[in-house]
Amino acid sequence: MTHPSESISAYLDGELHGSELSQLVDHLGSCGRCSAEMEDLQRVRAAVRSLPVLELPRGVVPDADPVVVPLRRHKGMWAGVAAAVVIAMIAIAALVTPDPQTSLYELNSRFGARASLDPAFGPAKIVVPPLVSE
Amino acid sequence: MESVPLTWEEVARVYGRKIYNFAYRLTGNPDDAHDLVQEVLIRVRRGLASYQPGSFEGWLWRITRNAFLDDIRRQKRRPTTPLPDDVDRWDRASTESADSEYARISLGDDIQKALLQLPIDFREAVVLCDVVGLSYEEIAQACAVPIGTVRSRIHRGRKMLKETLQ
Repeated sequence: MTHPSESISAYLDGELHGSELSQLVDHLGSCGRCSAEMEDLQRVRAAVRSLPVLELPRGVVPDADPVVVPLRRHKGMWAGVAAAVVIAMIAIAALVTPDPQTSLYELNSRFGARASLDPAFGPAKIVVPPLVSE
Repeated sequence: MESVPLTWEEVARVYGRKIYNFAYRLTGNPDDAHDLVQEVLIRVRRGLASYQPGSFEGWLWRITRNAFLDDIRRQKRRPTTPLPDDVDRWDRASTESADSEYARISLGDDIQKALLQLPIDFREAVVLCDVVGLSYEEIAQACAVPIGTVRSRIHRGRKMLKETLQ
């Protein structure tokens, strides 16, 4: 008798289809050895899947804290225009950005459910990634 | 077609924890996992500009496993570093009794150690399947191998785990 051993893991993972699936199911009904192997594999699979999900430690992903980006000291008209645009953007961001203390109810009413479900939703931020040496 | 995160920060926020868990289960220690996540994010940041719409997860996990393999090659090491004493205690539920929690941690240690004894090809296939939750097709894309190879690696990996855990 041929034992379709390799198909058993695929079967447990829902990755077996069509005639291969029906053949394995028929086989398992009449083969004690493969049934026992399936139970063993099921236990191993469940054990690996029971490993706790680890939370991302702080600092692994660069913090999205706001930082001050110094303007370059260009002189002339365009530097003035650029500075005015930045100031206007900051003012607009200040108007539309929810205060960190704003209640979830208020956030929801203003921005929808994402505001309370998504921890990244918050004040507009400028993210500067860490310098990395190759 | 699946939507694609627009920025690497978004990728970090959405996938960071998954990548970290993948990295931790593959390397067995938090420092290597930390480094691997940051390396992956650097590669994602570089690669997003030239990303062609397709399977984003396949693309992301291919980058992740390549970063892992590059790290292995670069350091010429086998990731069999002994586990720290406090492994798997981070998300301890306060309601569990000390005994059951200790049993759970010990079981987690045993499984982690058994994972580290698997050949890398088998380990990454099992971890991508059972920890990350990818389909065989997604694992095949990530590892650039046929689905039949994925099926074989997962099955053989589980059989080796069974022998180790017995």
